[in-house]
Amino acid sequence: MSVPAFTGSNVMDVDAAKIRGAGSNVHFDKVSVAYGAHVVLHPLTLDIAPGEILAMIGPSGSGKTTALRAVAGFVRPASGRIRIGATDVTDLPPYERGLGMVVQNYALFPHMRVEDNVAFGLRAQGADKALIGERVKDSLATVGMSGFAKRYPRELSGGQQQRVAIARALAVRPRVLLLDEPLSALDAQIRRNMVEEIAKLHRDLPGLTILYVTHDQTEALTLADKIAIMRDGRVSSHGPTVELYRLPPNRFTAEFLGRANLLPVTVTEGATGPKGFATARLGDALLAGAARGEKPGDKTLLCIRPQHLSLTGDEEHTNRIVGTLKEVHWQGELTHLVLEVDGTPVRVSATRLPVSLPERGSAVPLFFTPGDTSLVPEDVRG
Amino acid sequence: MLVWSRPGRIVIWLVFTLLFGVLFLAPLAVILLSSLADQWNGVLPSGLTTEHYSDVVQGAAWKAVKASLVTGFLASAVALVSGTWAALALRIQDATLARVLGVLFFIPSAVPSVSVGLGLLVAFSHPPLLLNGTIAIVMVAHFVLISAFTFGNVSAGLARLSPDFEQVASSLGARPAYRLRHVTLPLLAPYLVAAFGLSFALSMGELGATVMVYPPGWVTLPVSIFSLTDRGDVFAGAALTMVLVAVTLILLLGLERVTGRQARS
Amino acid sequence: MADAAVLPAPAAKRVPGRFWIVPPAALLALLFFYPLVLIVQQAFMDDSGMANVGEFVRVLHARFFLNALINTITISVTATAGCLIVGLVLGLILAFVPFPGSGVIARLIDTFIALPTFLVTLAFTFLYGSAGMLNAGLTEAFSLQAPPVNFLYSTWGVVLAEVTVYSPFVLRPLLAAFSLVDRGQIEAASVLGARPFRIVRQVILPAAVPALIAGGSLCLLLTVNEFGIVLFIGAKGVITLPLLIYSKAIQESAYQVACIIAVINIALSLGLFGLYRFAAGRLGA
Ligand SMILES: Nc1ncnc2c1ncn2[C@@H]1O[C@H](COP(=O)(O)OP(=O)(O)O)[C@@H](O)[C@H]1O
Ligand SMILES: [Mg+2]
Repeated sequence: MSVPAFTGSNVMDVDAAKIRGAGSNVHFDKVSVAYGAHVVLHPLTLDIAPGEILAMIGPSGSGKTTALRAVAGFVRPASGRIRIGATDVTDLPPYERGLGMVVQNYALFPHMRVEDNVAFGLRAQGADKALIGERVKDSLATVGMSGFAKRYPRELSGGQQQRVAIARALAVRPRVLLLDEPLSALDAQIRRNMVEEIAKLHRDLPGLTILYVTHDQTEALTLADKIAIMRDGRVSSHGPTVELYRLPPNRFTAEFLGRANLLPVTVTEGATGPKGFATARLGDALLAGAARGEKPGDKTLLCIRPQHLSLTGDEEHTNRIVGTLKEVHWQGELTHLVLEVDGTPVRVSATRLPVSLPERGSAVPLFFTPGDTSLVPEDVRG
Repeated sequence: MLVWSRPGRIVIWLVFTLLFGVLFLAPLAVILLSSLADQWNGVLPSGLTTEHYSDVVQGAAWKAVKASLVTGFLASAVALVSGTWAALALRIQDATLARVLGVLFFIPSAVPSVSVGLGLLVAFSHPPLLLNGTIAIVMVAHFVLISAFTFGNVSAGLARLSPDFEQVASSLGARPAYRLRHVTLPLLAPYLVAAFGLSFALSMGELGATVMVYPPGWVTLPVSIFSLTDRGDVFAGAALTMVLVAVTLILLLGLERVTGRQARS
Repeated sequence: MADAAVLPAPAAKRVPGRFWIVPPAALLALLFFYPLVLIVQQAFMDDSGMANVGEFVRVLHARFFLNALINTITISVTATAGCLIVGLVLGLILAFVPFPGSGVIARLIDTFIALPTFLVTLAFTFLYGSAGMLNAGLTEAFSLQAPPVNFLYSTWGVVLAEVTVYSPFVLRPLLAAFSLVDRGQIEAASVLGARPFRIVRQVILPAAVPALIAGGSLCLLLTVNEFGIVLFIGAKGVITLPLLIYSKAIQESAYQVACIIAVINIALSLGLFGLYRFAAGRLGA
């Protein structure tokens, strides 16, 4: 948080100051959930630090909502404990957990005006009138909806409804904010704006711990401090957003977060030098890649993102492979090419093209730097 | 969109008019006409009169209207409370028990009304549960027959209610009673109103159980229509039937307006 | 969304207030199930309070009972068939050959569900009764001695009245099912030259089958239980089970016989109710 931006005295900052420090950590301790005999969450251990945004991302049915609802108290874990701050909430009913929750379809109460929706939690908890009035005003200001207090939800657009839903959750000063696919009912354009709004909200309320469930990798990459990737009821990988993107620990993560080319290679030489690059062979080419303890002879995958492959090499691009050009899709800002390298399709998103575009079927060299690569072990499915 | 040729459509619409006219329109029209008939020996009545209606507002006929309204209102109100209560309480049972109980709450709608009346006579004709001969037994019969209906309507409403509303309310700190009062019941209101109105309408037209159990002083509309027509006083019976139809339609239309307004707000 | 539709069983376990179901269940048990049990008890017990199936067997073999049973089933099956045909024809026209005002007409037919059933019978006596409009017209026109139209006081009168009263119960689910039929598919078939009958058979009917089964089984149940129509027509020869229960109990004060017939009538109804639930369950799935 940059200091100058915080010296102003507008409502938002006053509000933020009050919330700061309110966040708690959330701890899943070997939490499992089953519906009958169907285990949908295998023992999950995960910690969300105070003030952190954790994005839980994964394909549909991977157990994200289940994990979130376990925190909220709507799903009872078959085993394990859930702690929020110092409190073990596993046996607490939802209304004693002190959370805020925002769901995909907003679920604004249709029979209440915007202000009554926002006031709902405080009224339910028996707060006094003056406090409620003040909090409603603050919360609506935080999401930029002050002018809409007297409207009914049906008189608002989807994006506005979602803001009100967030204000309603913020008004109770939650220890943790739970967001379950909050933007997936919105149009692409509004969704992009809302992602930025939520990012700004978190800058304003840095103490707020957020569990953000989504299946959209862009939302996760934009917002999250850390990402947990879910697959079939398990955490497939968990780590700081940038690290997970740059050094994906497995194929599933590499392919789910952004797009990735994964080339099957054989390691010829283990990590050398301070930067830790290993050398691996792909066909005739010898390539350097960021290592994670591979030994010579290991078969593994070399991960390189489409935007890091270049058709026009320079001295940094010490890795070089040659592929057969299969398809070219020009899209204005970017040109997408598909090549085949040693039987593996390789995608390239190029901003710059050579002066004369190679023909389909011709052999094309591709260049990239070792710093943009990582070696990724093939998934072992259980 | 199925039949494109003009003559084809006209033939089909004629078929429709014939069916609709003979089965639905003619009965209503003829009841209306006969309720206004003075004498009717030929194809059409020989004269018109409002005499049968003025009879309705005095004497025995008016008592029947009152008995039906009171019975309908009380039975529907009790059925609404118990049906809503049951539907809400069933949600917190475990699945198997909820399914079994759900079927049990529906069964009264499947049993012939005459048997319901017979059962009440058999069960409540001796002290300490002596209801036979009282007004209460009529209310009970109507309550039993419409209870499944209100239960079904409210259950359907609950099933359509997105669980998100209640869950968000809980997560914001609303305890069950507060949530019920401020979220669940307001959202269910259209279904409650509809259930009340339709069960009121059903109660107004109930005959089978009532005819088994009614005490001398509490003759409902259908029973008195039956005894009028049985005596050959068909025009008075028709007038009373029109009153019954009118009350039912007013109830249904009024409800539609109420629920329509709520759906919009 | 859909994943949250059911509260999971594990969470339900610790929800307090499972006992909230007791008051409405107790009320229903006292006012409905207890009398039902007493009916069964009376049916199988003689005056001294001993278990005795003799009377039950005697009633089962009695002429009046068998006649009523046969009447009930014949009327119910015939009327249900009529309801299915009328409902299907009206539904097809309302949904696929609509005309100005067809929406209002559909709603009007729907309100028949809430009207008392005997209304139609009363109307029919004015229309088709021995002194009704039709007979009066025909005797006048052809100077006849006796009224030529007599069907009203037979099973046919009951069947026609029941078709009027209960075809809306077929029409309602049918219109719901038709509203889901893809209009584009029908138009595409028409453009390809398919005749209406072919479209009805191949596109529309398959979509309507579950609604027809659900509506039809509901009609079976309701017509077996129907009382008002039969009572109002009051024809000597047309006695059904509910009417028999009424006359045994109220007119003859033969309560045990009434209970025996009621047991059989209830068993029949519950069987049909099971059929309906099954069909409606399939429809919902
Ligand atoms: N109430 C429920 N009853 C039974 N199975 C459920 C229920 N809710 C979710 N599931 C199952 O749990 C799995 C995980 O669901 P969910 O957590 O909603 O996934 P996600 O949010 O990642 O799409 C799915 O296979 C889903 O079918
Ligand atoms: Mg989900």
